[in-house]
Amino acid sequence: MATQTAAAYPAPRRPPTARRFALGRTERRNLALGLLFISPWIVGFVAFLLYPFIYTIQISFTQYSGFGDSLPIGWANYQQLLRDDLFWTSLYNTLFYTGLAIPVGVVVAMALALAMAQPLPEVPVYRAILYLPSIIPAFALSFVFVALLDPARGIFNQALLALGLPNVNWFGDPGVSKLALVILAQFGAGQAALIFLAGLKGIPQPLYEAAMLDGAGTWRKFLNITLPMMTPVILYDLILGLSQGIQIFTQIFVIFGNDPPGAPANSTLAYVPYLYNNGFRYSQMGYAAALAWVLFLITLVLAVVIFRWSSRWVHYDTD
Amino acid sequence: MGFGSDAFPRPADRTAGRRASRRNVLRGAAGLGAAAITGARTIVPARAQGEPVVFWTAMTDPDLAVMKGIVETYNGESPAVPAELVQIPPAEVTDTSKLMTAVRGGIGPDVYFLDRFIVAQRAADGVLQDLTAFPGGYTLLENHLPFARAEATYDGKPYALPHNTDARALYYNRGMLEAAGVDHAVLDPANGPATWDAVKEIANGLNETGPDGNYTTMGFVPWVNQGWHYTYGFSWGGEFFDAAACEVTPDNPQVVAAFQWVYDYCQELGAQQVSAFGSPTMQPGFPPQQHPFITGNLAMQITGDWMINQLRTYAPEMDYGITFIPVPNEGDESATWAGGWSLAMPQGAKQPEAAFEFMKWVAGEPGQRIYTKESAHLPTWEALLADDALFTERHRFFSQDLLPIAKTRPPLPVGAKYWDELTAAWQAVYLNEAEPEAALAAAKERVQAQLGRFCPVTIEG
Repeated sequence: MATQTAAAYPAPRRPPTARRFALGRTERRNLALGLLFISPWIVGFVAFLLYPFIYTIQISFTQYSGFGDSLPIGWANYQQLLRDDLFWTSLYNTLFYTGLAIPVGVVVAMALALAMAQPLPEVPVYRAILYLPSIIPAFALSFVFVALLDPARGIFNQALLALGLPNVNWFGDPGVSKLALVILAQFGAGQAALIFLAGLKGIPQPLYEAAMLDGAGTWRKFLNITLPMMTPVILYDLILGLSQGIQIFTQIFVIFGNDPPGAPANSTLAYVPYLYNNGFRYSQMGYAAALAWVLFLITLVLAVVIFRWSSRWVHYDTD
Repeated sequence: MGFGSDAFPRPADRTAGRRASRRNVLRGAAGLGAAAITGARTIVPARAQGEPVVFWTAMTDPDLAVMKGIVETYNGESPAVPAELVQIPPAEVTDTSKLMTAVRGGIGPDVYFLDRFIVAQRAADGVLQDLTAFPGGYTLLENHLPFARAEATYDGKPYALPHNTDARALYYNRGMLEAAGVDHAVLDPANGPATWDAVKEIANGLNETGPDGNYTTMGFVPWVNQGWHYTYGFSWGGEFFDAAACEVTPDNPQVVAAFQWVYDYCQELGAQQVSAFGSPTMQPGFPPQQHPFITGNLAMQITGDWMINQLRTYAPEMDYGITFIPVPNEGDESATWAGGWSLAMPQGAKQPEAAFEFMKWVAGEPGQRIYTKESAHLPTWEALLADDALFTERHRFFSQDLLPIAKTRPPLPVGAKYWDELTAAWQAVYLNEAEPEAALAAAKERVQAQLGRFCPVTIEG
């Protein structure tokens, strides 16, 4: 190849690699313009993502209150983290919540999407109703949720009692407080349901028609056609849910308060609230930065695990 | 391949005047950028000399209205630089993240209304300015109560000027007790403090449950309102800090005994049932008018002097009494604790001299006189405690009978952490999720791990 090039064209003045990236005058102008147009994003990326990213690595190796001088302490923050029982508590609480909220969320979103996909004339109204809770900000929704689950007057507990079930102290019992958060998460399932709905609409109808000719019932069609064809969407929802679940903050802050974080008795002390409190309440910015980095690594590992696992069950063939 | 004029030919039918040429687009973009920068500068103005002293507070009404009046009065006296009160979200009471990020970003206030027990922590962090260099320096604190002085000081230097204080007491609804046929003479402060067991006996006569098993009426819930770990620990004679050993002592035997009493009390009534009754009142944003004490569903509670004003507003007809915090054994001395607020100057204050003048006035005799009279709180300006005209009869019980016996939380550079750990242990104990000794030992270990680097810690007074 190199011989042919040498024979067909004059000898290059620059090494081939450099030539491949050499830009003409117009291209250089276009590149400059292109960079100029995306410069707000570049500035935002560098200032609010890249710089904090590097800065947190740096301060995670220091003892730093956020003011004055920082004291380099090597790996001490990371070592302290392993000994800190509240780190493990917060990690357990977060994984418990995420591990439960995501699969339940998939089921709820799938049910909502199937309901939204029904060929009924009034389906746009149902879609709007089912989606409505998802557009309420988490802050406002959490306040409404407190009223709904109030152990004495909340409509949710009244319904439980009417069904002959025991009364549940959602916000005061450490045994169920995380479940309250899982229930709350389902109020936002409309968002995922819309994506699921789009996935459902993308399943080729001939598959259902062929299955029907073969005598498949509704359940069989769901198991053998709908579910496999929806697996890419489910994977997307799992990854998104993982990222959101692991960073849960607002709902805990609003419902359980911050005096102290994690009430009752540290049962809702999730990872990010604990990180926040170390940074802003206890002025341990270095330790908070170390917590942030460990969280990043945990999320990364979990995402990789889910991706690798997905090769066993995600069905990409749409032919 | 780029996407400029060479990549995408322009439509031929456009007139030159309307053409969105690259030059025009860039001009427009530059104009928008300039407008954005101007807009941003409007949102975050750089305060110049002559602009007001900016004073941040997380107060809410009715106290906020009183503080607004104080600022107006100050401004009415034509100071060189007037002050402007800015209310920040109430969630910021002890969580000072808004202050810390603003100071770090160079847009902090000139004066901040700070919970006094975390002055030491914020001073140690480097958020606050040392006030020693201002005119008067440390001598300014000499007119304040000794414990308030100690709380406003860190490492021998003043970092805040103390403002109001408060004290905790046992409130009891006489009407409810009489309706239940309970003799409440034992709760009359003239008879001295009642014992905790006497309170328990009275309370048990009032507890009622509904068909769903929930308590609908209760005599007393130990942890509602100001029934904190410190309240019980001090009542049992416990100490929370050993200065000589530079050691937090939540595992002090008296503190453990206090927690044990609460553990047993809740266990007897069903910790979860008690929690279901009381926990909504502890949720953020719980409306005071729905509090079971105000609605007549809770006969006794521990709370502070500010409740006088709340009851005046929300339950003006209630026949109630206020007495000492109960004692473990007959004949013991009652104990309570005092908290309160202060005015601090964050780093980077734009107008430090004017801010200090404002702080001196508000935390001094004139500001505290108005605040005491109108808010039913207590002053830390010692001379004002002798002014009878400032206090109603109920209020006087706090200033004359409770404040002299009040203790305070140790003003430590890890005050917020200590509070949080004690509270987590407290919740675990009153929910019967953990034994007092184990919960308090865990709290000690976590707090001590952070305190170590500040040792030795000197507490003034």
